[in-house]
Amino acid sequence: MPSESGSSLEDLRVLELTGGVAAGYCGKLFAGYGADVIKVEPPSGDPLRRRGPFAAEWPHRETGATWLYLGTRKRSVTLDLLQPSGQRLFRRMVEEANVIVESFPPGHLDSLGIGFEALRAIKRRIVVVSITPYGQSGPKAGWRATNLTSFASGGQMSLTGEPDREPLVNGGSQAEYQAGMQAFAAAALAAHQADVTEVPQHVDISAQECMASALELYLPWWAYLKRDISKRRGNVMSGMVGVFPAADGHIGLHIMPRNWPWFARAMGREELIDDPKFRDNYTRLQNNDELEAIVYAWAAGQSAKELYRQAGAARAPIAFVHTLADLLESEQLRARGYFHEVEHPQAGSLTYPGPPFRMSEMEWGADRAPLLGEHNRELYCEEMGLSGRELSHLRAAGVV
Amino acid sequence: MFRLPLYGVRILDLTMAWAGPYATRLLGDMGAEVIKVEAVNNWDLLRSFTGQPPTVERVWDKSPYFNHVNRDKYGCVLDLSQEKGRELFLRLAAISDVVIENFRAEVMENLGLTYETLSAANPQLIVVSMPGHGSTGPERDFIAYGTNVEQLSGLCHLTGYEGGPPQKTGISYGDPMAGIAAAGAIALALWDRRRSGRGQYVEVAQRENLINMIGEQVVAYSMTGREPARRGNRDSSMAPHGCYPCRGEDQWLTIACEDDAQFAALCQAMGRPELASDARFADVVSRYRNQDALDGEIAAWTRVQSKEEAAEALQAAGVPASPVLSAPEVFEDPHLRARGFFETVAHSVAGVWEVEGPHWRFSEAPAHIRLPAPAFGEHNGYVFRELLGLSEDEVARLEAEGVTGATPNWAVHE
Repeated sequence: MPSESGSSLEDLRVLELTGGVAAGYCGKLFAGYGADVIKVEPPSGDPLRRRGPFAAEWPHRETGATWLYLGTRKRSVTLDLLQPSGQRLFRRMVEEANVIVESFPPGHLDSLGIGFEALRAIKRRIVVVSITPYGQSGPKAGWRATNLTSFASGGQMSLTGEPDREPLVNGGSQAEYQAGMQAFAAAALAAHQADVTEVPQHVDISAQECMASALELYLPWWAYLKRDISKRRGNVMSGMVGVFPAADGHIGLHIMPRNWPWFARAMGREELIDDPKFRDNYTRLQNNDELEAIVYAWAAGQSAKELYRQAGAARAPIAFVHTLADLLESEQLRARGYFHEVEHPQAGSLTYPGPPFRMSEMEWGADRAPLLGEHNRELYCEEMGLSGRELSHLRAAGVV
Repeated sequence: MFRLPLYGVRILDLTMAWAGPYATRLLGDMGAEVIKVEAVNNWDLLRSFTGQPPTVERVWDKSPYFNHVNRDKYGCVLDLSQEKGRELFLRLAAISDVVIENFRAEVMENLGLTYETLSAANPQLIVVSMPGHGSTGPERDFIAYGTNVEQLSGLCHLTGYEGGPPQKTGISYGDPMAGIAAAGAIALALWDRRRSGRGQYVEVAQRENLINMIGEQVVAYSMTGREPARRGNRDSSMAPHGCYPCRGEDQWLTIACEDDAQFAALCQAMGRPELASDARFADVVSRYRNQDALDGEIAAWTRVQSKEEAAEALQAAGVPASPVLSAPEVFEDPHLRARGFFETVAHSVAGVWEVEGPHWRFSEAPAHIRLPAPAFGEHNGYVFRELLGLSEDEVARLEAEGVTGATPNWAVHE
């Protein structure tokens, strides 16, 4: 049945057309807070299902970690959008939908007769969110991408890694997650305004533009001052900000000017507090090399976890680099009830992250990912009125 | 004619630095009336990253970092730590839709501006808080800035060169990610309010938000008990997949081949068709095993190419590839320029220059930068005289008492 989340989002229906991690995360966010998110997969399944690792170590379309994580709380139907019969069924689905999330190459849905212009004629207040690496228009609109190449295009990669080595992509699939989360926020806004005004929207989200909007001070300094300060600085920005090796791991410092006296004391160097070489932002920058050397030497003898506790109690910004094991063992995250066990018929019981944000009036949930086509009968027959025979015909023709 | 999606929505913005202001920039871009509230002794740290000598006139209004992040916002000066300031803030909250802050855990409580107090003044108010760790738990009072959030989320541990230490992302990554989440949460809260008639309280624990962005790694670890090894720019199954040196200093090209067909196309484009049938590289598994040798062959080609031309050639052949663009190169990117991504903005104090525009592109409500970032206290008149209906004398008294003002106390963020 449609979402029985009890959330006010339950009357928001999202059709998530196959499209990788970005569309998957966008849909997962909606589903988590109670929207009825239907994954529309090709009969052979969303390609995300192919990504390992897999429970029980054998590749299996129901038990890949990426699929399990991004699929939480969604329904799954199979549908071949390349066939006219599939397009026809899809048009009927749109009548009851609010948001379509897709990541096909620009123009693909138009070529199938189910692009924005076609869909707005069916459902006046429809929102179509198109998430692509470069957007719907422009010379690179047709460019192919993976997370690596997408991350390279937006400016953040050039800043990451050591100055004397190749730039580095960061962990997981951040270009795709960034685009997916931006698309979610934009789509939620578009859905709200469509709810109020009945105006449809085609929302064009370019992963490159998302990343280019988050270049900290590097793009602004070039745009305004014509100063290029974008050379990679590796793990250590200065003696006050960076990731430093500790005795048993790595610590992260983000010492602000007001923390300087505490920090100098913590290093056992109280005499540096008023030392003219280090007493304020400007002089610390002038003498950064010397300061870095002091900090490196000090950090190497510290226990990362112990220092974190001490700094925390003193309200000083020092963290330690958490491994995945550290996350699961974290007293803080346990106290927050952040991690959830979710049971899945094929994958068994596994640990999943909790909500990205908490709302006092809207509950969040992470019920298991659906099996491939698990909701075909429920949606097509029970809700849309197809007979069992009609469904069989469609299945035989590979439409469903 | 169209209205921007957040037309008529007023947001009282107490956020500072990057995480919160990034959220309110997203919402201001889409038409919200964002009123940024600073104080003479509590003004936005980003105003101090000027890149100019502190003696420059009104240098706090000329910080490019501040001015990019805070466009499409109004700005007023109000000291919430004074009773009169707090009282006026509550009156503003009564006529606003959202209050958002990213202070340390107990600040709002100490100001007497808890959710209970704010919603009593306005039951429809949506109140958003963005603490590093969340408002509960043994580490709730630990300070966590954007780089710390990345360390606390597992992302830093997953990033790094093969055999190397964990590596931080080159920006304060946790900040904008929390900002996006906050903006999305506000949109959901507006949807909900339309049905319930009530506001609500939203908490974006920055660290918990960021863990969600590596969530599949948590599930994978739960499956295997194995920490993923850092592998630089390589992938768990694609090969070739990496970052290759090009002609010039610090010029790089990323290439990723998802299948045999793309690999064959790559070889063709490099003028090395025989590599596609080389026993070392001819199938997916062998290619992965022999990546070191393969990367050497590819780098030999890229080294004498311009990264842009090589990328064009590979894309024409259907191979995923992109040059690694620096911030200045992003600013000059012909593709972004063709999309009109950069807009000329005139700022009352800082002058005229180009700023990246709104990136949530709505077909029926195209957004453009409407306001430059506020000069310090620029809209005091609007807020105090128009919104709050104070007289000139009352405002003068506020100035005399230091509740409002026109100049920040520079020493605070020296």
